[in-house]
Amino acid sequence: MDGRDQRDHRAGHGLDCPDCRLELQEYLDGTLEKKRSLAVFMHLRDCAACRADHDALQAVFSGLDALPALEAPADFDAKVLASVPYGAYQAMASLRRERVPVFLEEQFLPAWLRARATRVAGLAVAAAVAFAFAAGAGAGWLLAPGLAGLGPELLCRLQGAGRRLVGLRRAEG
Amino acid sequence: MFDRHQDLKTIRRCKRGEEAAFAEILARYRGPIYNLCYRMVRNPEDARDLAQEVFIKVFRLLDRFDEEYAFSSWLFRIASNHCIDHLRRNRMRFLSLDGVTGPDGEEFELQLPDEGPAPDTVLERGEAVARLEEVIADLPPHYKAITLLRHQQQLSYEEIAEVLQLPLGTVKARIHRARAQIQQMLADRSYDI
Repeated sequence: MDGRDQRDHRAGHGLDCPDCRLELQEYLDGTLEKKRSLAVFMHLRDCAACRADHDALQAVFSGLDALPALEAPADFDAKVLASVPYGAYQAMASLRRERVPVFLEEQFLPAWLRARATRVAGLAVAAAVAFAFAAGAGAGWLLAPGLAGLGPELLCRLQGAGRRLVGLRRAEG
Repeated sequence: MFDRHQDLKTIRRCKRGEEAAFAEILARYRGPIYNLCYRMVRNPEDARDLAQEVFIKVFRLLDRFDEEYAFSSWLFRIASNHCIDHLRRNRMRFLSLDGVTGPDGEEFELQLPDEGPAPDTVLERGEAVARLEEVIADLPPHYKAITLLRHQQQLSYEEIAEVLQLPLGTVKARIHRARAQIQQMLADRSYDI
């Protein structure tokens, strides 16, 4: 610990030199909480050693922020666009889809099962069975058609969730 | 700094096959990505190649882009990882060139051309810039990337955390260490900026 750390610069703002140096980067970044930032400001006003640290660090910050931006070569875009022709991208669409597990392809489920009419009818059967049980009129043999009625909707939703997970719908735009 | 909403609209147009949309992305990000690559590798030819590879990679991976995140974060992530990989590959190559054995069994060291800027370029750009560039070039790749994202691209800590997929605390600690290392390296080389 150097001599300046032993000096007491806490008066009025509750910050000593090691604390101040720890906060300096966030202070310069402007991300320090307001009260803490004020404490650093007050400490810097009173402490020449920390002020020197602050100035040195600020010079580094300013230097880094001011690094000149360079222009990309003139033919930059042309070369990129020539390497990614849209024709090839569109032709690759089917290949991209092949990476998706086959059970997530819409065609994996038969069309009749995906049909809105089947799904609605299935849900209606399941609802009727549930209603029968709620009314105390349910019998054991009703369970099978009730659960089967839920099947189409459940399978379609599971497949939809899986497709969303692999981003298939987004890829399709 | 980058318009997330605007980017998303452009990306969706890209996916629908609008040829002009990717050109818009290029126009918007060509500068930032080229500059990031240049400062990472400090060689204009390598920077151009790397930046072009980044855009080609991004194009091919467009259907994997998760719209939950900002496109700029995804792009910068791909660019920084690509540059870090390049630096690591090159380091391995240079290491393996040390102590090469010749046909007569004698060991020798290959002399590689200095890929840094020419001395007159250094003078033109100003000493402070040249010194900082030299120090940045000598930083470990992950410190280099985080410093450039913060100071060159002016990303916030939160944005950097999204780019690098690191916790905010780790980002802050890493940036602080990178800057401390820059300061130390400047002092060690008696560089005044």
